Amino acid sequence: MKSSPVHYLAIGLLKAMATSLTVNPAKRRYLFSADGPLECSLGFTTESGSVTAGLILSKGRARAVGQVPKAADTVMIFRDDKAILEMLSATPNEVLNMLLKSRVRIQGNLTYANLFNFLVSLLMGKRHVKMMEDKKRENREAAKLCAPDAAEDLGPDAARRAARLSAPSRDPGVKVLDDPYLPEYGLDDFPRLARFLDIHFTQSPEVSAERPRLLTEWFREFGFETKGNGEPWVPELRQARAFAYLMKNRRPIIRAGDLLAGTTTDKEIGVVIYPDSHGTMIWGELLSVPHRELNPYAISDETIQVLHHEVFPFWAKRNFREWVRDKYGEPLCQRLDERFAVYFLWKTAALSHTIPDFPRLMTLGARGLIREMEEELAADPGADRDKRNTLKAMAMALEGLVAYAKNLSLEARRQARHENDPTRKAELLHMAKTCARVPEYPCETLFDAVQCIWIAWIGLHMENTNAGLSMGRLDQWLQPWFLAGAKDIKDPEAKQAYVREAIELIGCLFMRLTDHLPLVPDIGNYLFGGSSSDQAITLGGVTPEGKDAVCDMTYVFLKVTEMLGLRDPNVNARFHPEVNSAAFLTRLCEVNYITAATPSLHNDLAVFDSLAEFGYDPADLRNWSATGCVEPTLSGAHIGHTNCMMMNMVAALEMAMNNGRHPLMEWKVGPETGSAENGDLSTFDQFFDSFCRQFEFLIDQSVEYNNLLGLAHQDIRPTPLLSSVIQGTVEKGRDVTRGGARYNSSGAAVIGLADVTDSLMAMKKLVYEQGRVSMSQLKKAVDVNFEGYPAIHALVQNKVPLFGSGSEEAVDMAKRVAKFAHDTYGGHVNYRGGPYTAGFWSMSNHVAFGGLAGALPSGRLARKAFTPGLTPQPHASANLLDNIRDVASLPPELLNNNIAFNVKVVPGGGDSHERVVDNMRSYVSAYFGLGGMQMQMNVVTSAMLKDAMAHPENYRNLLVRISGYNAYFVTLNRDMQLELIERAQYGI
Amino acid sequence: MVDKPPLILEIKGNSLDDGPGIRTVVFFKGCPLSCAWCHNPESKNPRQEISFDQALCVDCGTCLSVCGENALSRENPGYVDRERCTLCFACEESCPSGALSRVGRKMGVSEIAGEVEKDLPFFQASGGGATLSGGEPTLHMDLAGDLARSLREKGVHVLLETCGLFDFRRFSEKLLPHLDAIYMDLKIMNPKRHSQACGVPNRTILENFRRLAEFSRQGGPSILARVPLVPGYTADKENLLAVADFLRGIGLAEISLLPYNPLWKDKTVKIGTGFADDLSESWMSREEIEECRASFPDFTIQG
Repeated sequence: MKSSPVHYLAIGLLKAMATSLTVNPAKRRYLFSADGPLECSLGFTTESGSVTAGLILSKGRARAVGQVPKAADTVMIFRDDKAILEMLSATPNEVLNMLLKSRVRIQGNLTYANLFNFLVSLLMGKRHVKMMEDKKRENREAAKLCAPDAAEDLGPDAARRAARLSAPSRDPGVKVLDDPYLPEYGLDDFPRLARFLDIHFTQSPEVSAERPRLLTEWFREFGFETKGNGEPWVPELRQARAFAYLMKNRRPIIRAGDLLAGTTTDKEIGVVIYPDSHGTMIWGELLSVPHRELNPYAISDETIQVLHHEVFPFWAKRNFREWVRDKYGEPLCQRLDERFAVYFLWKTAALSHTIPDFPRLMTLGARGLIREMEEELAADPGADRDKRNTLKAMAMALEGLVAYAKNLSLEARRQARHENDPTRKAELLHMAKTCARVPEYPCETLFDAVQCIWIAWIGLHMENTNAGLSMGRLDQWLQPWFLAGAKDIKDPEAKQAYVREAIELIGCLFMRLTDHLPLVPDIGNYLFGGSSSDQAITLGGVTPEGKDAVCDMTYVFLKVTEMLGLRDPNVNARFHPEVNSAAFLTRLCEVNYITAATPSLHNDLAVFDSLAEFGYDPADLRNWSATGCVEPTLSGAHIGHTNCMMMNMVAALEMAMNNGRHPLMEWKVGPETGSAENGDLSTFDQFFDSFCRQFEFLIDQSVEYNNLLGLAHQDIRPTPLLSSVIQGTVEKGRDVTRGGARYNSSGAAVIGLADVTDSLMAMKKLVYEQGRVSMSQLKKAVDVNFEGYPAIHALVQNKVPLFGSGSEEAVDMAKRVAKFAHDTYGGHVNYRGGPYTAGFWSMSNHVAFGGLAGALPSGRLARKAFTPGLTPQPHASANLLDNIRDVASLPPELLNNNIAFNVKVVPGGGDSHERVVDNMRSYVSAYFGLGGMQMQMNVVTSAMLKDAMAHPENYRNLLVRISGYNAYFVTLNRDMQLELIERAQYGI
Repeated sequence: MVDKPPLILEIKGNSLDDGPGIRTVVFFKGCPLSCAWCHNPESKNPRQEISFDQALCVDCGTCLSVCGENALSRENPGYVDRERCTLCFACEESCPSGALSRVGRKMGVSEIAGEVEKDLPFFQASGGGATLSGGEPTLHMDLAGDLARSLREKGVHVLLETCGLFDFRRFSEKLLPHLDAIYMDLKIMNPKRHSQACGVPNRTILENFRRLAEFSRQGGPSILARVPLVPGYTADKENLLAVADFLRGIGLAEISLLPYNPLWKDKTVKIGTGFADDLSESWMSREEIEECRASFPDFTIQG
């Protein structure tokens, strides 16, 4: 291959870069880490080989070379010369986005690619910042065009909040509240919460280096793979000791005016860095992250220095991805993941999508849990070394948690000494007493219980990535303490004060949960835009014994949900149609109406049916909670990693149409299943089979990678603290990463059910049955995005019965596809010995994956978002009932990792609050009656969303439900905003 | 009286404005009145029609090659030359975009009932049901009666929307026993003006209303009078006061006022019929509506 002019340009630029880095002392210091000079080599080339260049960092010098270095750590392979030129003019955040668009792919270590981006941005300095600011301004101007004149009265109006229903009846579990709907309370009654909410909406999140700094400090001293004496570490013990060190040494912080002590980070709103998972992905953006358009973070120079010099170099190879790459030679399953277009493995970031067993921690305290471990070992003299080590590690982690609580207690006492306001002083002293006792000892009051949960939560997030770890059935679990405190209250005024305190306390917990954000590199803004940690809380449903679980605290949580309208915690409600009351469902709909987007609603009966195949203990099954987005986890006993991966099912369809080749990646990676245009697939069943074989290939690959990443977790980051609050680990004597939980499974989110079903229907009807268009014609039209084929485009859009249109045939097709997904995932066993489950929700990846897919036989144009979750296409039917009926007719048995069914409803202008809520309740009630499993309503108009796009400053708190999680509309990327606007809108 | 089985214009689910709860509305095709403002002009004619929607057309020309009558051309106002068209619907069958569509579908009782009953769970959850509307359901008294009976046997609440012009004896025999509620239009009280605007006198309508009100009092289906507010036709003070007097005269104090909807005109273009040119192009203002409501100070006003 002849070298191109770009080849020489690239070498020239790398030389200039190397010189600048080596000669300029202010820059040269970035070639060193706390452990000495950074050592790595990077290669740059194109698919054709027209460019070959390299950059070698060694001994504190940078050197450019005219070939790809032998044994380069990282090679960036550009699509062509043009892609290299594009990168030269790109900002650091955009470089990763080129990965998404398949303009470049990376072989080898991803961390060093990020280091390279960092060094580039170091040299580009202010120019990058200016480029980003210009781009931001440009986009803002463009957005204004959607709705040039700000609307006066479109916002989520005060009227919705002002009108409040009274409960028509009291559920049997409600013992204290006179009117369970608590209509007498509004945010104005809680100035403390109003103040926190204001901070939430105005304070910029800031990157915090506290966690990684302390941990790295410890590992540097005591070793990671081996101890100082060369002996290999037992990963569980190493993590426990490091965790305990972290907890003892982190700053005990009490936020001004808060009732609850403790913070996740050392910032008001902190972005937590987990370099052992995906933390180093932000390396390239350290200098530019405050300037990016979507979800910018503040970052101090000190943090940049700590992360660059002390933290990231240490972890360059010590993270889940790189562990798999090194051990397994960058297997195909990993290379597929790192192209982002066919699947995305969340296990690269976390596996802690689960629900801790808070009740045991609250009733036994850390001491009680440790005592149980000791008793277990005493009772099991044959316990193997693994068991002894695991339990020892768990106890050690709990000690770390207790040490942190004690530090908080001291801090509260210290602050109390300096406090002049007697009320606050009393609060601080109370806090000091509480933290001295919990979580070490059993909780005695509601306040104890909430503080205990919060401290444990902080600890769990110091150990586990803040991605989907969920809180479970807090209403159930807190109710006993709430009742105990109310028992002796006779005086109505005292009772009212007690209820008010409970609301405020839960409000403080909600606000505490907003004190941290997951680290989102800019590529994540496009993949998972606007998502926070997705800490799901689950309300209502039935008790483990099958009785009505709705109680006082259920309604307290709903009141707080209504008043605060937060995106996170992600509030989910369980409704058992045969046990729970209509009054409860009405209240859920009222809160949904007032907040516009939350809670998400689940049908208990359908969820039970969906999990029946696993034969779970009925009491555990009835104790399920939503995790992350919507997925079911058996509370406190189950590692279900229910979002281990997001699967783009549409990619399989594209590959089936292209004989195994993926069009965007231009990669013939799937099996050869026949050429659609050459007539190899002469019947619909042949085509369907070819789709299945491609899909199976992708599932097999994704499962293989998930299992390898699982092994990486076992080695890099076992989680003794989490293990100590999950049932099963003590008896089994294994960390949860090794299958210690009583129940184990892994769950996938399968994306594009409606798009795939409708595409298959188009082919079945028009090509194979009616012959109105030939396969080769249809394929040609799809390949060119229907340009020049208006009749075919019209035909597929108008003459095909779609999923959601009330067509039995389309529903049968959806079932056939869902069954294949269910059975194929179900045929695999994970690395912890549990089954795989499949669900049909999409977080935000229906937009991201849609952006990486070409046109489809359904008529969906290239790069457009897929439908969210399994929601029918907006034009499937003008009748909402068709949508509801079709979705409800999918058997829950095929949906064992749940679904997300989005419905955008718009109340009529003149309708009363009561009538709107009643209409919403009718739809949900009928949907559940038909067997529907989950439903989430956005109560907003497209006009409102357009106005918010143009004038984000007026809509900072506009809450929307994406597919399973909530987000503030104004934090979403443009494609996601458009997807929400284009969703079908039904008047109610 | 007209073709059998009759034509169904549309079965529309999820209606929240045609009676209590979530309702499914069966629109019959054909109406004995011919109101100048009719906002469902495609429901007037009792026969099938072909509709052309310019906005949906992708200009692919497929229809031109299948029309044996040479009835389609860009030169024709409204695309279809309705003199030549024999309503063979070959063009409609070939049209990929749905721009050409068939208005009116022959359906029997069981087919209609089957469609409606799919929504039973929604009726039950909301206290809704089926609404027979049109056009004019009473043009097909036998079928409407059988349908209403069949639906009620399944526990469906059945409401009739009617213009009120029907043979009361047949009505009370065939349909009345199977209804839960009736919405009847009272448009113009002055007989002459009614004839001019609606093509027929209003004597039978008012008489039928009186009788149904009497039935209602004796435990028959509830009845609600509805007035379409059409500026220049029905929405004047004189007419509305006369409506109020009429209702008071038979002891009723509830009414539904339906503000004018100007969007219907597009529909006439699609089916190639004209419309009166003195009709308003705009929505009514809040003040205009308030003024209309003021004629019914002692009434409960719905909608």
